[in-house]
Amino acid sequence: MTWNEFIYFALGSLLLWTFGTVALYRVKKSFTGELLIIAGLLLFSTFIGLLWSHIDHPPLRTMGETRLWYSFFLVLVGYITYKIWRFKWLMAYSILVSAAFIFVNLLKPEIHGTNLMPALQSIWFVPHVTVYILSYAMMGAATIAATITLSTGKKRESELMPLIDNLVHIGFGFLVLGMLMGAIWAKEAWGDYWTWDPKEVWAFITGSAYLVYMHAHYAKISRKDALWILPVAFILLMITWLGVNYLPAAQGSIHTY
Amino acid sequence: MGSQSKRKQETALVEIIIISAVIIAGFALQFVIGPLDFGILVFPVNLILGFILLLPILFKLSQPIRKFGSGKVSVILLTIVTIMAIYMGLVSGNDVKHSWPFAFVYLMCMVNLAIAIGKRVRKFRLKKDYGFMLNHIGLLLLLFAAGPGSADMQRWFMTVAEGATEWRGERSGATDPVELPIAITLLDFKMDEYPPKIAIVDKVTGESQPVKRPVFVEAVGGETGIISGWRVSVDSFDYRPMMAPVAMISAERVSDGKILTGRVSCGNHFQQFRILDIDERLCFAMTYPEPERFSSQVEVFTKDGKEKSGVVEVNAPIKTGSWNIYQYSYDTSKGRDSQISIFELVYDPWLIPAYAGIAMVMLGSLTLLFRGGKRE
Repeated sequence: MTWNEFIYFALGSLLLWTFGTVALYRVKKSFTGELLIIAGLLLFSTFIGLLWSHIDHPPLRTMGETRLWYSFFLVLVGYITYKIWRFKWLMAYSILVSAAFIFVNLLKPEIHGTNLMPALQSIWFVPHVTVYILSYAMMGAATIAATITLSTGKKRESELMPLIDNLVHIGFGFLVLGMLMGAIWAKEAWGDYWTWDPKEVWAFITGSAYLVYMHAHYAKISRKDALWILPVAFILLMITWLGVNYLPAAQGSIHTY
Repeated sequence: MGSQSKRKQETALVEIIIISAVIIAGFALQFVIGPLDFGILVFPVNLILGFILLLPILFKLSQPIRKFGSGKVSVILLTIVTIMAIYMGLVSGNDVKHSWPFAFVYLMCMVNLAIAIGKRVRKFRLKKDYGFMLNHIGLLLLLFAAGPGSADMQRWFMTVAEGATEWRGERSGATDPVELPIAITLLDFKMDEYPPKIAIVDKVTGESQPVKRPVFVEAVGGETGIISGWRVSVDSFDYRPMMAPVAMISAERVSDGKILTGRVSCGNHFQQFRILDIDERLCFAMTYPEPERFSSQVEVFTKDGKEKSGVVEVNAPIKTGSWNIYQYSYDTSKGRDSQISIFELVYDPWLIPAYAGIAMVMLGSLTLLFRGGKRE
């Protein structure tokens, strides 16, 4: 099995996942939708398995192979999170992001030859990035819900507050998992699990800002006032994700590849 | 009720005053004696500090001290830490992480955690508190190992030639090699490379064409591709030991059928590179092969008689006691022909507590995934 056959497996899986998500929204019982999503996951993992046996080593060396795993794990973790929390939108979101990775792989096949430098060839690469993507999704949703609550006042507060707290706590769980997997990986690749590299500094800032929110009620800060922390924390998160490379303090960071 | 809430506010005020005083003391120390030298925390000082941090967990403290383990204090400290870290992330060339105020805030965070854990331990109920315990004890362990524990950490670089045994290491920046309690014999250094690539390069600017979105053709026999209107095919590729890679290529301009053939090579440490000219500005050239993986077959000996042999590779260090040996570099000018290997040796006796902390917090964050925002 080679990349030439990828299109059949990818489009097949995407169709199954899309119909599955539509079924989750439309069909009363979630069984049909879940079955379709699981079938898509099986189809997709079949391709990974066959590709693996064809090239004789875990497909983790090129960027294209890495994207293959993102596409798979995003939907898998999205589905598990859906099983526990019943967020249909998260299922749809993870399929959307997964589709983006699949299409990059389909439309820019020359990327398959792009070389992955030795430090990036690690089993931690994919889970480290995947859980961060999910965390960002949760935190993004929490920020939107917080903005709605702040702008509409009392009316929606009781409805949205539990959702916001759930999203922040789950998102923080993923954030910490991503950070600590990164730490273990850094220990294996660079000899130290924490070096205050600019990307690490900003990940730390993001984490501690969300911790302030999660502990705010102990300080008798009202729930409504605490909500203001969330948009600020999300801006910090965006700096960590996208902005770090442009900061003067980050020149020479080991995270800019 | 009124007087009670007033008293609550006052006590928070007391905590804020104490935190401020400690931070001001940190700034004073910073100005008087300069940055914190982590050397003062080496064993057994850090171990003693560790025992002191255990006290609030083992023994019940008096009410005024217990206040310092409140959630209120944690919010104040977290806010201060966030602000300090933002300074660290924005201002280039700062050394916040080695400053006294930061060290004192770090210490207060650990004290806050230890007292908070101590309070929970006294009314522990497994079902309700396991998530809290995993997260907070794990974090305390991790903060301790990564903070005061890191004073015992040593990092050395060691350059070993193939067939030789080396026991002297250098600190980064320093020049005098020092004898270490560990020796490495390098049996073999091996490197796999990705095939080099054929490109069209602007001889003046050095940019690969098309500018901004360069296209390459892998230098593998039989490979073809189109770069900036030229159909390029690699007729043969030759890469012998100690020799520079050479490709025989032919290229046809799609617009008018003009054909060019010739050899291109990126050269190496003793052979010249070769290009194939298109015109005065552009030429076909070969990129340097990029390392795919490199590894060293080694034997490791320690002073206390331990022996180990194995392969050290990027992302796959070898462990001997509290020493970890990392594949760090090689003679990059020679690439795969390098006859030396450079290792980084890291000694970290606090690694196990750090990993235990990481494992606990990871388990704790899994509980967050299941429990969400339910108040404990």
